[in-house]
Order: sequence, then structure tokens, then C-alpha cells
Amino acid sequence: MSGRLGLLAGLAAKQVAMRRRQTLVAVSGVAVGVGFFLAVSAMMIGSQADFIRTLIDAAPHIIISDELRSPPPQPGAVAYTGGAIAIRHQKARTEARGLKDWQEILRAVDEVPGAIGSPSLTGGLTLRLGGREEAIALIGVEPDIESKVSTVEDNLRVGRLRDLQTVPGGLIVGEDLAQRMGLQVGDVVGATTAGGARTLRIVGLFKKGRGQLSSASGYVLLREAQSVLGRPFVVNRIGVKLVDPYQSQEVAGRLEKRFGYKAESWQERSADFLSLLVTRNVIMYSVVSAILLVASFGIYTVVSTSVADKVRDIAILRSIGFSEGDLQLVFVIEGVALALIGVVLGWMLGYGLMAILGSLRFPIAGEDQTLPLDRSARQYAVAAAASLLSAVVAAWLPARKASRVDPVDILRSAA
Amino acid sequence: MTAVVEARGLGRTLALEPPVLLVADASFSIMAGSFTSIIGPSGCGKSSLLYLLGLLDRPTQGQLLVDGQDVTGLGGDARARIRLERFGFVFQFHFLLPELTALENVMLPMRRLGRLGNAAVRERAMSLLGDLALGEKVDRLPGQLSGGERQRVAIARALANDPAVILADEPTGSLDSVNSERVLATLHQLAREQARAVICVTHDSSIAASADTCIRMLDGRVVAMG
Repeated sequence: MSGRLGLLAGLAAKQVAMRRRQTLVAVSGVAVGVGFFLAVSAMMIGSQADFIRTLIDAAPHIIISDELRSPPPQPGAVAYTGGAIAIRHQKARTEARGLKDWQEILRAVDEVPGAIGSPSLTGGLTLRLGGREEAIALIGVEPDIESKVSTVEDNLRVGRLRDLQTVPGGLIVGEDLAQRMGLQVGDVVGATTAGGARTLRIVGLFKKGRGQLSSASGYVLLREAQSVLGRPFVVNRIGVKLVDPYQSQEVAGRLEKRFGYKAESWQERSADFLSLLVTRNVIMYSVVSAILLVASFGIYTVVSTSVADKVRDIAILRSIGFSEGDLQLVFVIEGVALALIGVVLGWMLGYGLMAILGSLRFPIAGEDQTLPLDRSARQYAVAAAASLLSAVVAAWLPARKASRVDPVDILRSAA
Repeated sequence: MTAVVEARGLGRTLALEPPVLLVADASFSIMAGSFTSIIGPSGCGKSSLLYLLGLLDRPTQGQLLVDGQDVTGLGGDARARIRLERFGFVFQFHFLLPELTALENVMLPMRRLGRLGNAAVRERAMSLLGDLALGEKVDRLPGQLSGGERQRVAIARALANDPAVILADEPTGSLDSVNSERVLATLHQLAREQARAVICVTHDSSIAASADTCIRMLDGRVVAMG
């Protein structure tokens, strides 16, 4: 059987070698298709991965807050389900905000392998320096744990999160805010809350252009926040980081079911972005498959003319004792051989294009950035598989004609 | 002794409007070691009969037996197999594959059959070409050979798988008299010395006269045998 395939492949190779110009056109069609497929998909997948990474890392994978998705059911409704009278429009009792039993939740988080939970307290605060006032969101954290859970640390221009522990009343604010108020590291600033007033000292600055973080947030020690906001021992937010961010939804669901508090995964937070990515992928794959499809037209043309030119040889081979299937295979192999050469050249082209794209530098927000590219072998395999598959179809259609050639017709017309 | 090829009321009609009769009601047996010629004016259906006997075409009437087996209803692959193993064709125009050398052309049927290893295939092809005085020209392409040489390469290729039947369609039709003599002598030798059945379509009455059996055709019918 392999001898037969080898023989037929040998005959196909003669065909390919015979028609250089057409071969060149068909092969370069496939090569360009594969090359651009690689370049485009590398950019799309690379930027998508980069984007998702940003989404995932922007905040903890799961945020447990002291909110409830729906008010707790009335004890009466629980005790008498299906009763004759339903209670509606009841007013819920005002409960003290904050996560009850937050140590318990934290312990549950720690039971998940590799997971880290960071408790924090958030509240409103007004900074005051002379006549200037700025309302900020004050966030109290445990610096050691918080730096493991979120990327806050990476956004610091000056100082470190840990400095909060060494300086009493230490505060980290954004550069934008500091600029507006004319503050610098080491300066003391007044802070007012509903509970009273005190002073804090700037120990660090967040980088510019980080949105809320650099313009309207302030980080202090958790103890400090509890004291400033007048809510001792209270925590109203737990950020959770997981080893595998893609388990967030499942873990969040479990935590929410157990404790009742809203546990929001990053997927839930960014559902709109994620659906946007799906659309983007559909667009990319339709455009790129169109390129590969057009490339296979070239193969169709070559094999088709090849069959038309070779009817005499087909008749000879049939008279010698080659079967219809043999002849069909010869021309399918011819098409696949063209695609194979094209794929290899396309790989090289794609590699080159990626190297060029990867070397480009774009200045964004004052920093040179490169295009995020996905150079995984998977893309090479996908491009090759798609090209070969379309080549088989493109070659098989005209190859059927070869098997239908009636040798008698050819022999008669030659005689 | 069974006939190598036997026709029983063999006929072929083209399903056109009106139907065109190519061959009608041909019945005869062809024995191993015999030289049979089919003769008649052009268009009398002698080539059509040869294509039927060689399993290149399918009969619309009658039966065809090869080695005593009815092959009339066989599928395409089985018919291709019989052509490969039992038959060898020689046509008026040499019909070699132009991209392959003389040697490669002769090796082709053996490689398709796959019974011999590569070295044995090459050796047999060399010896077949050597027997036909082409030993010096094995690596030439058909375009680099003369008409007579090409026809001898075609005979060597027809003999490649040691067939029981050689089917020749006007084998000397495009050759000069010297080469014609030579090709004809070779065909006779194949029948006489190697006990193959040779069926030769011709309109040359001198070839017909040298045959053991002569089938004379007119308008698709066998009009005389002997």
C-alpha cells in the first residue's frame, strides 16, 4: 500500500515539477494566506490575552462585598411557605454595614488551595489642606496580604505599600491628586470624616493616569481606616486571588452560597468585555478563513488544468491497469503537495511578519510598548491544518474528473 | 486447454439517438501461444472489439471470459487489476508517459503491481529493454527516441508484468517498413516462444496473412474467421 502511495506521489511530483509557473502562483497564494493568518491571529490572540490579563489583574479575581443580591427573606415567609397570605413590599430592617463573621469567610477562602484573601475597609473621607478639599475613597488594607492579591503595588511611583506599617498615620494617594492639592511625600494633610478629624502623612504616590486609583483613592492601614472611619473591627470587602483565575466563577459561587454576601468574579465584572472578544474572534476567523479559501482557489485551478492537460496520460495509466481511485489520488496528492510547500513558505513568511510586528515600538502614555503577539505553535498547526484541508477539497473536486476520463474516448480520438 | 480470452456474443452499442452499433455478436476463443489478427476497413469496429477484449470498455451485450472466468459484470477496480496482471497494451502511437524515461515507463506497471522489490523491478525492466535492443537508451525520455524505439519501449512496458495476452492496436501503423518488420517479428516471437496470446488489430493484409487466426470484420460484425 505504501508502495502504491509512493508511486502515485512520484507521478504527482512530476506534475508539480512540470508546471513551474502555475505551481509558483498556487504555492505563493497558500503561502501568503498562511503568513497573514499567522500574523493577524498572533496579533489578535496576543492582544486578547494581554487584555484579559489586564482585566484579571486589575482587581482581585473575586471581590466579596457586604452587599446582598436580594433582601433576606422574612422569617414568616420561610416558616410558612405556600401559606394563604403572601407578604409583599415589606421594609427590610436597617442593618449595620460590614461583613459579619469576616474572619470565618477569610478562613473559608484560605481553605481553597492556593487562594489568598485580603480583607479591607472602604469608606468616604475628605482630605483638607488649607482651603483645598478633596473627597476620596479611603481603603484600609493589610499591606503584606494586599500586595499579594492585587496589583496596587505595581502602580506605585514613589514608596511601597509596606511603608504604611512603619509610618503612623501613613497615607498613599495618586500623583494626580497630590498635584491638585500641592502635596508631596512626607507632607501632612488633614482628614475629615463623619466621625471626626485627624492628620495623615503621605508616604507614597500612585502613578499618573491610573483612573480612580491616582485621582480619588487613598490607601491606609486597615487598623487606621477602622479608626478614622469610626468602625472598629469592621471589614466590608474581601479580595480573593486564585492560582487559576478561570476558577473564579465557581469559587465565587460557592462562597456566595455559603455566606450569602455578594461574591463577584472577574468574569462577572467584565462580562461585556468578554462578549466583545467573542465578536472580535468571529470577525477575525471569518476574514482569515476567507484568505485561506481564496488561496485554495489557486490549487483548484492548477489541479483542474493539470487534469485537462493530462487526459492522454490518464488514458495510458488506465490501460496499464491503474484504477480510477489511483488517478484521483495522483491529482489530490498534487494539490496537497502544492499546499504543503505553500504552508512551509507561509510559516516562514508568518514568522518574518511576526518578527517585524514584534520589533515595532509604540509610545503610549510616555512608555514604549510593543504589540502583544501570540507566537504559539498552535497557530502554526491551525494554519497548516486549515490550508491542507481546503487543499484536499480544492484538489479533490477536479481530481474526480480525472477518474471519470474514459480511456476509450481518448484512445479513439488519438487513433 | 482453456481459452485465455473468450467472447460469447459480445456486442457494444453507443446509447446515442439513434443508437450507434460498434460491435455486434462477436464470438470466438483466443488460445495461449496464438497470434490472432483482427482486420477490416477503418471504422469497422476492430479497435472497439480490442478495447472490449482488453477490459477498457464494457460490453452492452454478451459475455467475456478471461482465463475461463466471466468478467462481464466486474467493477472498475477488479477490471483494472486484470488489466494490470494479465494484459499488455501496445498502441499505434507509442503512448509513453513523456515525463518518464524509457526505464521508468517500463517499471511503471511492475511498481503498481508491487510484487517485486525496487531492485528486482529495475533489473527486469533493464532486461526487457535489453531484449528489445534498447539497453543503451534506458535513461532517455520518449522525446529523445525514434518512433521504432518508442514502440519497442511500449512493447517492453506491455510485457512488464508477464501478461498472458498482448493487445496491439495498429502497432506498426506509424512506423517505416524496417521498424514494422522488427516490431511484428517481436510480436510473433512473443506468441511462439513465450506462449502468450497476441491479438493484433491491423488493416495491413500482410500482417493478417502471417497470423495463426484472422478475424475479418465489417460494419461491427465478424464476417470471417480462419
